[in-house]
Amino acid sequence: MLIAIAAHFAVAAMLPLAARRCGRAAFAIGALVPAGSLALALTYLPGVLRGTPHGESVHWAERIGLLFTVRLDALAMLMTLLVTGVGAVVLCYFGRYADRDEPGHGRQAGLMVAFAGAMLGLVLADDVLSLYVYWEITTIASFLLVGGAGRDEESRRSAKQALVVTVFGGLALLLGLIVLAVAAGTFRLSGILADPPDGAAVTAAVALLLVGVATKSAQVPFHPWLPAAMVAPTPVSAYLHAAAMVKAGVYLAARLAPAFADRPVFWVPLVVLGLWTMVLGGFRALRQHDLKLLLAFGTVSQLGFLLVLVAVGTYTAALAGAAMLLAHGLFKSTLFLTAGAVDKGTGTRDIRELSGLGRQWPQLATLAGLAAASMAGLPPLLGFVGKEAALKAFLHATPKDVAVLCGITAGSVFTVAYTLRFLVGAFGTRPGAAPSRAKPPGAVFTAAIAVPALAGLVVGPGVGWLAPLAAGYAEALPGAHDYHLALWHGLTPPLLLSVLVLATGYAVYRAGRAVAVVSGRVPEPLRAQRGYDTAVSGLIRLAHGGTGRIQTGSLPVYLAVILLTVVAAPGTMLLLRGLPAIEAPWSRSWLQLPLAAIVLAAAGAVLRARRRLTAVLLTGMIGYGVGGLFLVRGAIDLALAQFLVETLTLVVFVLVLRRLPPPFARPGRERTGGQARSGQPALRRAEWRKALVAALGGTFVAVLATAYSAGRERLPPASAWYVDNAKPEAGATNVVNAILVDFRALDTIGEITVLLVAATGAASLALGAGRARRRTMPRPGRDERTEVRR
Amino acid sequence: MLNPFLAQQGGAIETPQIDYAAILPILIVLGAACVGVLLEAFLPKHQRWPVQVGLTLLTIVAAGVALGAYVGDAPEQGITTLSGTVAVDAPALFLWGTLLALALGAVLLIADRSVEPGGAFVAQAGISPGTVQDRAQVSSTGMQTEVFPLTLFALGGMMTFTAANDLLTMFIALEVLSLPLYLMCGLARRRRLISQEAAVKYFLLGAFASAFFLYGIAMLYGYAGSVRLADIAAATAGTDRSDTLLFAGFGLLMVGLLFKGSVGPFHTWTPDVYQGAPTPITAFMAACTKVAAFGALLRVLFVAFESTSWEWRGVLWAVAIISMAVGAILGLTQTDVKRMIAYSSIAHAGFLLVGTMAITDEGLSGTLFYLLAYGFTTLAAFGVISLVRDASGEATHLSAWAGLSKRSPLLAAVFTFLLLALAGIPLTSGFVGKFVVFSAALSDGMAPLVVIALVFSAVAAFFYLRVVVLMYFSEPAPEGPTVSVPGAFTTAAITLGVVVTLLLGVLPAFALDWAGAGGFALSS
Repeated sequence: MLIAIAAHFAVAAMLPLAARRCGRAAFAIGALVPAGSLALALTYLPGVLRGTPHGESVHWAERIGLLFTVRLDALAMLMTLLVTGVGAVVLCYFGRYADRDEPGHGRQAGLMVAFAGAMLGLVLADDVLSLYVYWEITTIASFLLVGGAGRDEESRRSAKQALVVTVFGGLALLLGLIVLAVAAGTFRLSGILADPPDGAAVTAAVALLLVGVATKSAQVPFHPWLPAAMVAPTPVSAYLHAAAMVKAGVYLAARLAPAFADRPVFWVPLVVLGLWTMVLGGFRALRQHDLKLLLAFGTVSQLGFLLVLVAVGTYTAALAGAAMLLAHGLFKSTLFLTAGAVDKGTGTRDIRELSGLGRQWPQLATLAGLAAASMAGLPPLLGFVGKEAALKAFLHATPKDVAVLCGITAGSVFTVAYTLRFLVGAFGTRPGAAPSRAKPPGAVFTAAIAVPALAGLVVGPGVGWLAPLAAGYAEALPGAHDYHLALWHGLTPPLLLSVLVLATGYAVYRAGRAVAVVSGRVPEPLRAQRGYDTAVSGLIRLAHGGTGRIQTGSLPVYLAVILLTVVAAPGTMLLLRGLPAIEAPWSRSWLQLPLAAIVLAAAGAVLRARRRLTAVLLTGMIGYGVGGLFLVRGAIDLALAQFLVETLTLVVFVLVLRRLPPPFARPGRERTGGQARSGQPALRRAEWRKALVAALGGTFVAVLATAYSAGRERLPPASAWYVDNAKPEAGATNVVNAILVDFRALDTIGEITVLLVAATGAASLALGAGRARRRTMPRPGRDERTEVRR
Repeated sequence: MLNPFLAQQGGAIETPQIDYAAILPILIVLGAACVGVLLEAFLPKHQRWPVQVGLTLLTIVAAGVALGAYVGDAPEQGITTLSGTVAVDAPALFLWGTLLALALGAVLLIADRSVEPGGAFVAQAGISPGTVQDRAQVSSTGMQTEVFPLTLFALGGMMTFTAANDLLTMFIALEVLSLPLYLMCGLARRRRLISQEAAVKYFLLGAFASAFFLYGIAMLYGYAGSVRLADIAAATAGTDRSDTLLFAGFGLLMVGLLFKGSVGPFHTWTPDVYQGAPTPITAFMAACTKVAAFGALLRVLFVAFESTSWEWRGVLWAVAIISMAVGAILGLTQTDVKRMIAYSSIAHAGFLLVGTMAITDEGLSGTLFYLLAYGFTTLAAFGVISLVRDASGEATHLSAWAGLSKRSPLLAAVFTFLLLALAGIPLTSGFVGKFVVFSAALSDGMAPLVVIALVFSAVAAFFYLRVVVLMYFSEPAPEGPTVSVPGAFTTAAITLGVVVTLLLGVLPAFALDWAGAGGFALSS
């Protein structure tokens, strides 16, 4: 089957080229791939029914455990049939649906085939990483398909919402899968499920997986992306709803159920959310006027139903889940394709404008009626079989089963009601309205719609063919194996319940107007779409605010961020550990006091300096003052070096300052002239803030220096050696001198050389640049200078 | 450093052993940089560009060949040479290879003269911006060819930085790599004021970071009595000395390293500098400086501070979270492509830090792989950015990128691919990188951090995709930018980046094997 997956992607890559030659035929070429895959999968069917899954694998990156593995068991086979079968039908339909003259056929055909390939890979994958890879490819493919050419704001917004929500879920899924795989010690899905690990981490992992499931399968509160995605071309919607994308979540839940359904963390959220979604989706569907939106909310509802069935984890529920999975794929694709045909034929999908279509298109109306009957759960269709099994699965007198039964009964009532609404809305004749003018649907549309519709009809009575496959999946689950899928079980409670549901559903449909009023009353803060919008806009506001505050482009602010971090992060840690006692005396000589005062005064004055030269001289004073402090402590060599460097720096500064205007350019001062000092409190506050940060940073460094330099352990061996050997080896009483001119004389020569080279370079730059400038180019004239300043 | 005991007691000065074969790549790069300076002084102006480009490319290839020759029979445990100041071990060799390959791409971008006639660099750096002379130099064809030796110096510094086995060597390498970068940031041909502003900001903040780094070294020396990483590790292992000096030194040392790696909250320079610097230099900085900074960070954490990891992990957790949050959230609102990639680099620095903190073999190999993958992707991304231009130079405002797919489908497709790689979508190197880094962090017990990292990956993906949406789903602006036809050099650089991004995504096994070839050389 790996070759089938690969074929999807290879053909998808080539279709854009093919479309240039043959236009819409590209879709038909694309349809061959899922059709071929379906045939290939069917060759493995006997083995799967015997209970021996088919497996293949190929290495991707062995070192980190990445490999492509497929495992075709009963559940995968069921999904494969759906994915490839519906895929082929939808692609054929798309070939007719796309406008002949519109560009982009190749893109859409390629994306559809890639989408089908990713979905096929997803259901077949047996290692968690390739599962995740396929999962994300379906996300991206659906994003591109929903966005379409992205002409209008609406489709861009919808596509983005679908992407954001499902990518978020995808990441949660990835994390869950990795935690699960690490806990189980294997990346093989079958391995994890055969021997499910335990522990708190696994519980968290399962919860994360469920986030992925809920986002992908559009469960409350993530559901709004699915109806919003209705802006996509109808064939894309049909595939998205019937077989791909949203079914991925259901598939994953079904895949995990045999191992985890006995844990509350797995079934409780799924059952609660599923029931809620089922009822809410059905309810919302009753308010829609757009055929596609009506179906979309129907899908939301049905997905909730499916998740409840697979999450409960009993044999009968799993049988029902398998049957409903297939039934939903068949009837939903039929109905979507019908909606597309209606849209194409009449130019509208609004049920308030359509009228009399049933008389004009009897064939299509019949086929859609079959599918709708399956959706509502009428015999002898597959939907009926599934719903019977589902009702049967919960007919027990435990509180859990009763609650679930009530939920799905309510959901089914709404399902019947919106089915009627769809059917009557699309094909009924409204009294007093002119019949819609419709072009005939054509053979391709009718055929594409007929295939899934008739399949639902055939498999209903012939459910015996499906039963072994469904049982092959359900076997792994606990519960009595006494139920089997069949059309007729006799006059049983589920049948009576079904009749009740149909009758109530009809009544609800008739009372449609009242429903419409009630359903508008959801409190604003509880609406899921609003939640999504708030989250997104909040994030953007946060980003704007953050940028405005942090990234102002001002150097002092940047420096302040770094300084404050230095003070805050390591500083607090160090303070918590306690400062060591400072053993040094406050002063060793009275001379230190005036020197320190001079240094501090000069440092303070630099900040207030308004002329460059003053600032430079004051900086020099700080340096000389520090040199004086060295001198007082007897570090003559250090003091000399400090004096030398200060002098050199001063000279270089003065050379540079010749070329600069004397006063500093101050922000704001130029504009407001002399009143600036008192007139700009904001500016002065900013200066105070800067001064505070600078003082904090300086204090931190100084405290660090005094406190911790006393903390050093011992004289390093080298120092001790120098002290011991200065006199005997070098004959010097000053250790520093001995080091400089004797022990490390070569180093000293090196340092002197570097200093000389640097001084020469600086001098030649300062002196030579002026000459070169005078030689090569004239100074800018007066006019240009003013222009520059402006 | 020469041990004075041995030197004096042995009677004769013992020269340190130098394994020339091992450090040959560095020697070639730094030697050629010096030759480049001489060429600049003695060659006539019109000959400089071809000779410098030839020399620089040849140097990088020669260094690569020397590296390849050495890797073949390198001892598995690595060696230390130059009396233990430089360690040539598996991570160092991997990082050297990465740096050389990335520098090759960056030099190709720097050397390109077809996209911007005359190259992206100012013809004469001495001209004041905005003057008549400046307007004249914009349309002249010359360029300041000192860029090439400067690049080689920076490259040599980066290679030494990743292999430095003691903190003083590391500091010198830090300066050797930083100073040329400060200078190169200010050499843009157009928009020179913003370019010079970037250079000044980078220089001043970088000077502060270097000062903190040096201060940290002094503290650590006070604690351990040595600046060698191995000695610091030995000192932390079995003594009852006061840890405060150690952690004060560690904190300050980290400030310097994290600043270079543009990890938040030490990231403030990144957006301004990335935006202002000439795009090829931004590409060089974004790719190579990140590799060098994280290479050194890995070595410091693994060799010197492994045994104290429980003590400092809390602080680095906070730093990583801040970095990811700042990068991902502030990146959302950017309207300039270069700034956006800058914020992405901050977010990526956070992800890298997550892997770096996992002091395990998987953490090491994962981070190394991530660096390789990220470097090539970001290099190619900046290459693409340099192609979208209007009359005033590069059109970096996002609105100019609207509907780009209709003007240039190929360029839009390439950029989309690169953005997807940055977002970490499967089948790109970004996914494999994120995967190995996060799984290493997970298995080292940092699950909450990985959850946070995943959330921020999702947020960051949002702003990459915003650009994709803009390019594909918007109507092009009526007077939008043109897409230059790239010359051979830029084409080669972008192709290199894209091919590596794809290859690492589809067949990551080779690079992963190399990244996991061995640990740091611990002997001193």
